[in-house]
Amino acid sequence: MDCKKVNRMLQDEIDGRLPPSDAAEVRRHVESCGSCAAEAAAYRRVGEMLRLWTTSRAGEKAPQLDSLWTRVRAGIEERKQPSEPASWVRRWLWLPAGAALAVLVLLFYPSDVSRAPFHPSSFEVAVEDLESDTATVALVDKGDDLPRVIWIIENDKT
Amino acid sequence: MTRPEPRPGLLLPAIALLGILLAAGVAEAAPPGSVSVDIGVVVASNQGTSIDPALSALRTKLQSMFNYSSYKMLDRMKRTLAVGETGDFVLPGGRNMRVTPVPAPGNKVRLAVQILEGGRNLLTTTLGLSRGGMVLVGGPPYPSGVMILLISAE
Repeated sequence: MDCKKVNRMLQDEIDGRLPPSDAAEVRRHVESCGSCAAEAAAYRRVGEMLRLWTTSRAGEKAPQLDSLWTRVRAGIEERKQPSEPASWVRRWLWLPAGAALAVLVLLFYPSDVSRAPFHPSSFEVAVEDLESDTATVALVDKGDDLPRVIWIIENDKT
Repeated sequence: MTRPEPRPGLLLPAIALLGILLAAGVAEAAPPGSVSVDIGVVVASNQGTSIDPALSALRTKLQSMFNYSSYKMLDRMKRTLAVGETGDFVLPGGRNMRVTPVPAPGNKVRLAVQILEGGRNLLTTTLGLSRGGMVLVGGPPYPSGVMILLISAE
């Protein structure tokens, strides 16, 4: 493995992201190469400095973070407890909604019986008498499941 | 773990609605001892092939009984009459029909029916029907066809 390739893989080796065989090869090269060893040492120092800086920044921001978390937790708790008026409104919301629906149905219900369909339950009829002064009338009976018809034949018109 | 609060959902509004509709239906039903007479005035002709939606349940019956292709409902009259009370129904073509419920046994309805045309007696009959039953009276000419009366009583 040459220095150029080791330089490309060095940071990954320090971070432990290389497969074991590649990491071992990089480490062997670094042990036998002074410039690559210096490069590796520089990478490690930068890493340590970054870790120190991050830790110190986090420590400085700890009070603000605690305060923020307290506020978030308080908000969550507040949401969990339903407020009484809102809950009451939700519980009885169906009542005005149902009333409005009923009014709408009554408004559009076919109360006009003139358009309501006929649904006779029976066609049985007993014709007790059948008279006419000006026409011939006949009772037409075509069977049990058909309506009986009284047919008027107006002598002067038909 | 908290148990979710039971919600009334649509059940109660549905029950309320059903109650209102039932009340409306009861309001239309004839009071005891009286008869609700329902008269449909239909013109049957061979002009067109339409059947009035109100006659949809009778479509096959009408087609089996008559040789007309079109059935149009001109008028619908409904009246609640006490036994002995005469209801006067105005029909097209200067005709009118008088219907008088007469005493009937059990669940039967008896109607004395008279159809007049310009003061002349076109038909006098007494019909015995089951409640909810129907009888047809047809034949009087009407421009473009004939008039058929659907007489039903409850």
